[in-house]
Amino acid sequence: MVPKGRSFRRSNPVTLLLAALLTLGFLFFILSPSRTGNTTSAAAAKAQHFSAAEHPLSPPTSPFLKQASVPDDQRAPPPVVHYKLDSLTTSSDPVGNRETVHILTPLARFYQGYWDNILNLDYPHDLISLGFIIPKTREGNAATAALQAEIAKTQSGPEKKRFASITILRQDFDPPLQSQDESERHKLENQKARRAAMAQARNSLLFTTLGPSSAWILWLDSDIVETPPTLIQDLARHDKPIIVPNCYQRYYNKDKGAMDVRPYDYNSWVDSGTAQNLASKMGKDDILLEGYSEMATYRTLMAKLADLNGDPSSIMSLDGVGGTALLVKAEVHRDGAMFPPFPFYHLIETEGFARMAKRLNYQSYGLPNYFVYHYNE
Amino acid sequence: MLPTYASPKKMNRHGYANGHSAYVEKESRTFSISPHRFQPRSQPAYRRRKQLMVRLAIICVCSTIIVMLLFPSLRSAILPSISLGLMSTTETFQLETVRYYDLSNMQGSARGWEREERILLCAPLRDAESHLPMFFSHLRNFTYPHHLIDLAFLVSDSKDRTLEMLSQMLNDVQNDPDPKQPFGEISVIEKDFGQKVNQDVESRHGFAAQASRRKLMAQARNWLLSAALRPTHSWVYWRDADVETAPVTILEDLMRHNKDVIVPNVWRPLPDWLGGEQPYDLNSWQESETALELAETLDEDAVIVEGYAEYATWRPHLAYLRDPYGDPDMEMDIDGVGGVSILSKARVFRAGVHFPAFSFEKHAETEGFGKMAKRMQFSVVGLPHYTIWHLYEPSVDDIRHMEEMEMERIAREKEEKEQAERAKEIKEQFVDTNNQWEKDKADIQNLAGQESENKKAAEDNSQGGTDASQPNQAKAQPDQNAVPA
Repeated sequence: MVPKGRSFRRSNPVTLLLAALLTLGFLFFILSPSRTGNTTSAAAAKAQHFSAAEHPLSPPTSPFLKQASVPDDQRAPPPVVHYKLDSLTTSSDPVGNRETVHILTPLARFYQGYWDNILNLDYPHDLISLGFIIPKTREGNAATAALQAEIAKTQSGPEKKRFASITILRQDFDPPLQSQDESERHKLENQKARRAAMAQARNSLLFTTLGPSSAWILWLDSDIVETPPTLIQDLARHDKPIIVPNCYQRYYNKDKGAMDVRPYDYNSWVDSGTAQNLASKMGKDDILLEGYSEMATYRTLMAKLADLNGDPSSIMSLDGVGGTALLVKAEVHRDGAMFPPFPFYHLIETEGFARMAKRLNYQSYGLPNYFVYHYNE
Repeated sequence: MLPTYASPKKMNRHGYANGHSAYVEKESRTFSISPHRFQPRSQPAYRRRKQLMVRLAIICVCSTIIVMLLFPSLRSAILPSISLGLMSTTETFQLETVRYYDLSNMQGSARGWEREERILLCAPLRDAESHLPMFFSHLRNFTYPHHLIDLAFLVSDSKDRTLEMLSQMLNDVQNDPDPKQPFGEISVIEKDFGQKVNQDVESRHGFAAQASRRKLMAQARNWLLSAALRPTHSWVYWRDADVETAPVTILEDLMRHNKDVIVPNVWRPLPDWLGGEQPYDLNSWQESETALELAETLDEDAVIVEGYAEYATWRPHLAYLRDPYGDPDMEMDIDGVGGVSILSKARVFRAGVHFPAFSFEKHAETEGFGKMAKRMQFSVVGLPHYTIWHLYEPSVDDIRHMEEMEMERIAREKEEKEQAERAKEIKEQFVDTNNQWEKDKADIQNLAGQESENKKAAEDNSQGGTDASQPNQAKAQPDQNAVPA
């Protein structure tokens, strides 16, 4: 120790300075500029930089370059940006064609299971952008805080898990019902107002965040806690404009004394003559609802057609779709298909959406044997 | 590690330098030639502890470096915290991926320019090269703060240089040295819909083409809006490129009414032979019983279009209610809207109102938009006495008529010329006779004069020769008559 100290003391300060500089230089070159040795992550970073916008005024589906040092009024005016929507494809091989997926979630409560599930999606995360809309209620504030905490963790975590861009919106209207309790919210008389508000929330989220580069829209409810990690690829593989998996729920079956599954979402159906007769006798502002004994429609429900051990790729065409998990080609929404917050052919929200899409010549499809699971309260 | 300055010995050396050496030496030790010679001593406990700490630190740093070398993804997480921002010059660290917006701040109010409310200006363009200079002069003249206006264009199925020209003009305005000129976000959406319908005036306004044409227009508008609407927008303004005259304060003027959807009256100037001016946009109207009954009878895909004899709807049109001297602030509730100039709150579009590219309550595009907005209980009004002027493009009929008129004019001019010539000839001939007459008159007068002189001379000479004077008198008679004439 002491001899070293001595030589240290004796050496010229200039030498020491140079040595220090050299060390710093080494550290800098080894650590910082590069992501050396890991080419995929370098490519990803490059791709991400390529897709990033130059200015904060940009589509919410892409990240933008921070210019923290420049105050807003001294910043150069935003550039003229061209978007070539002709070259935007939606194909059965979305990963191969690097098609972007915009996952949209109306969030009422935050479930950790939901977030863990989308983190586990194995679609390239740099092609996924997320959008949330949250009501401005006490419950909504709590959900926002929880969501933001998870986002902060993910977006500063491993690069492979990070999403391209995340938008959080706070709703500008109050939900008609304060209670989100299962029993309360499924009452028939509450349904119309509840689903109208839900439709409006979906539309607000959709039309403000769709942007010019999204190829697919995945609607995923905040209470979907389990899907296959290949959900997006599996649904897109069928190359259909609108496609919906079967939404089930895991629960503890007391009779069997074991975990079991049961159907949850009844909004995916094929229309029936009975339902059309009912509709024709209704007033202009009345709606048909599924799953209520007061209103027997005798529609063919996809939830009832499931075969737990059947071929998951079997497909059927539908007249109404549920919104718990729903993959839509962006062009369907761009043509104007939205979630009617008013009775449209006596249908509302996602069911009305399927009807409106049909008016625009897009057919909806369902996968009766492909399952996603709803949270059990 | 550290040199020995801290040791008590060093203090002694200072003592020597101060010249108190003898005193110090006497007190502590015997005199020595080399008093600072190294003497191994047992290290104190604190120094051993310090060395341990130093070694641990070195091991830590080394292992961190190795870990970071092996797992590059960890670097970005750790580096910014230890490098005090020195190393974060690479761009990926500056990427911002999370946006947070409260939509209740983007509701739109009557005085948006004071509350810094952003407007999205949407303009669908097709083969609009010739209109662009005029359109940009309107844009540049807007009094609404430009940095609050985001521009979005949809260029579709254009066969002329619309796109190049648009980019050029947009770049010019964004790089304008005047800081008040550049606009906010600018998006140019390029999308072809494979449109078969021609944009020339005749095919554009033919009845048969209307329904499918309007559905395609609706589709284009929806693509534009869905790609360009952002959570930050409070207002959306739709403006056609072929508006010729509009007040520069139109955004504020329409905004002041604080309605969900509002349109001005749209007229167009005409050549004098067509009456000087004419209502242009007939798509802004109030619903009528007749039209509702008519709608009942039509099939699901039919689209009612205004201004054609095929569908007599008897609706009150905004355009026909204009009074040039009326109050420009007067409002009128309407059900269908025209698309030349629509100011709408962004929340209307956020709620899902769009331009139906299908038959919605028997209407499509902007009329269907008005209907849908009404269906969702939004207020839709028109201003009958606040007028903007659409460009006058002569229709094929007009052009034919104008050609006829031109030919007529040429024929008329020719005829006039001929007539003039004839008149001139006649006049000339008439003047000739007059001259002749005058000449004759003069001649006769001369003759008469001579004769009277002759007579006098003859009378002077002799009283005889009455035979000769008789005809002379007869000749003088017309002469006398002519003098007063």
